Amino acid sequence: MSAADKGASTSQDSSSSDFEHRIIALGQSHPNGISDKDMAKEIPELPAAQRAVIINKLLAQGYIDLFNQGGVLIYKIRSAKANVIKGGDNEERIVFSIIEEAGNKGIWMRDIRTKSNLSANQLNKVLKILENKKMIKAVKSVAASKKKVYMLFHLDPDSSITGGAWYCNEDFEAEFVDILHQQCLKYLKQKWESAKEKEPDPIAAKNFSYASAQDVWKYIDDLGISKVKLSEHDVETILNTLVYDARAERNVTIDETVLFRYVEPLLSVVGLTQFPCGICPVLFRCSISGMVRPATCTYLTSWLQEYIDSA
Amino acid sequence: MSVDCGILCSKIILEHFGGVVKTVAHDLFKVSSKTLSNIVATTKLQRSQVIECLRILVRYGLVTYKVSLQNPKIPEYSLSYEKVLLFPRYVRYMLLVKTLYGDEAELLIEELLRSGSEKASSIIVRATTRLKEIKKGCKEIPQLIIKQEDLFMSPSLSLKELTQMEEGHPEVPANDVTLRVNFDRFHQEFRDNIMISAIKRRIDDNAGELMRVILQQMYIRTEAWEPISNPIPVVEIRNAVHKVKTNPRLAQHLDQYLKVLDEDSSNFITKVADSGGGQYVVNIREAFIQLSWAAVENIVEERFGSKAARVFRLIKSKHFIEQEQIQQYALIPAKEAKLITYRLLEECFIQIQELRKSMSSAGPNKTFFLFHIDIDQVVKKCLEICYKALTNSMVRRQHERDEHKRLIEKQQRIESLTANLREQGAPADQIDELEELLTPLENEALERVRIMIARLGEAELRVDDNMFLLQLYLMYSNCK
Repeated sequence: MSAADKGASTSQDSSSSDFEHRIIALGQSHPNGISDKDMAKEIPELPAAQRAVIINKLLAQGYIDLFNQGGVLIYKIRSAKANVIKGGDNEERIVFSIIEEAGNKGIWMRDIRTKSNLSANQLNKVLKILENKKMIKAVKSVAASKKKVYMLFHLDPDSSITGGAWYCNEDFEAEFVDILHQQCLKYLKQKWESAKEKEPDPIAAKNFSYASAQDVWKYIDDLGISKVKLSEHDVETILNTLVYDARAERNVTIDETVLFRYVEPLLSVVGLTQFPCGICPVLFRCSISGMVRPATCTYLTSWLQEYIDSA
Repeated sequence: MSVDCGILCSKIILEHFGGVVKTVAHDLFKVSSKTLSNIVATTKLQRSQVIECLRILVRYGLVTYKVSLQNPKIPEYSLSYEKVLLFPRYVRYMLLVKTLYGDEAELLIEELLRSGSEKASSIIVRATTRLKEIKKGCKEIPQLIIKQEDLFMSPSLSLKELTQMEEGHPEVPANDVTLRVNFDRFHQEFRDNIMISAIKRRIDDNAGELMRVILQQMYIRTEAWEPISNPIPVVEIRNAVHKVKTNPRLAQHLDQYLKVLDEDSSNFITKVADSGGGQYVVNIREAFIQLSWAAVENIVEERFGSKAARVFRLIKSKHFIEQEQIQQYALIPAKEAKLITYRLLEECFIQIQELRKSMSSAGPNKTFFLFHIDIDQVVKKCLEICYKALTNSMVRRQHERDEHKRLIEKQQRIESLTANLREQGAPADQIDELEELLTPLENEALERVRIMIARLGEAELRVDDNMFLLQLYLMYSNCK
């Protein structure tokens, strides 16, 4: 190559890098993207062919992205963190963008495979690389413990995967829920009893025994037994379980606040359950003559023996 | 009817009437109605025996007859098994009458229950002779208590004729009437008591009293077994409460108690209009739906555990719910929730409804499995459990009695001998000698048997109470 050509190419190089910077700056100032036409308007001294070369170079290096908006080609500047993977190959980028799309909920491996059309081995390799670069992470789902979903590293998993406040490390915290349950019940029962004592007339007593979800939440918060910050919605779920246990009843007022109140059940004990046959696990295998029969039933014998002993 | 119910009926009839009557009754249980010759053919008993059995059963109101469809000259007999199932309840009837009307009334009812249906005069005479034996010093015939509600038609008998009968004159008084116990009236009392005690638990004692007053007022305007009463004006309730006078707090806060009862989630009473200071209606059908739900939930809790009861109530409130939602709302770990749900499904307390997204069977199909409760089914299932429990208790009682039969007979013989000796005024050491024939070990065994039989009897009454509630629910849910 002649010196003149060299000089021309170097000057071209320096000016092309100059143009690169200008195009990048332009892209950054228009985060919604710039089209070819915009670039031509802004940088008129750049000939079309050179512009095409620069754009291809930037695309390959991963500084900009190519989009098709209504038939017009738009170029958008890639955000800073994505520049990290400019060293990686296309497959990684594709997988990364799929995972990014999934957002909070994460995406299952099989879904990534269908979207990217990669084979299992390739995908595994890519995922390993990305995990090592600490760009994505795997989170175990609470619903199906074998299922792993992938999401971006810095995102917090959605509550549908971790299960919300009741799950700690994918384990359902039964004792925690139980303690809260007991405390809420105690609070409501205390309110009911004090209402009965203090108020002589029934309507006032009834109104006083009502507690809103917010009151209970404040009480639980003050108790300080929970290390996790509980939302009012969580406390309402606990109060709903009290309703399902028939220890409390629920009422919604006109201005949409939800109130809870302790109630006694309508029937105290049911006769059938005081007799062993009512709770016998082999009741349906029992008959008058057979292996399991009332004449020799051990449950009946021990039940009768209790009464003989206590008499 | 179900096999368990049949076994129970046979057992009851065996206990009260004996083996031959049991065969006839069991035969009738299996069909809706049969002619006499059919019964003779299938039971292989003698015709006269079958006639005697039928006579006894008809007298106790357990068998009814109507004209046969095939041959208008022959009657066909059918068994009313509901009446058979009332036998375990007799003790409670007597207790109720005793609390309401006194000892003499109890004796009358006892005699009537024992003989099924009998002429009024003979009942009264027998009761008075028993009463005289109990209270030795009493010379006069006790006051004749005619309880019009309990019996169909009050007999107009004169005391003079009765004394004549008692002294052995064979004449039967002119205006004699055959009496039979009106079970419906007793059931009405039981039903009211259940409702009142439920309100007492829910709100407080004063509200229970108010409920009692309201129910009394209800009977003035409404038939006893209507599912929903006619409106009762507040004015009447207020007057009734003031008349009772035992409860000043109730009178003071009457309006408030009415409001609380109205707004309570149990829905026993609703306000329908404002005329006359307010009109209230008693929703008996609604009340029993609530009460039977409470009973069934209690049974689920005792049989399967409190977590299962939570799941059951959750399904009840949401009507149709998926497995995942169950563990989400009930705050139960996933595995445990699944176990409980499938156990409930196995014993038919809950049911499953499939919703298919596509009818094709190719490929993985997303089918929704929704759990729901059919309360009629569940109540019938619980009734079956009650029948079985009652049968088991009776069988066990019989078994204990048979095991120690020899001992019991020996004790009875000794008792009768000592009673005779005491009457004849024999010396004390002779009586002691007789009593010592029973060793302390035997005494202990007898005591044990006595406790066991008493306990089983008590349990039968409780199970029967439960049965009554469930049967009432089925009756109200059938009559729309």
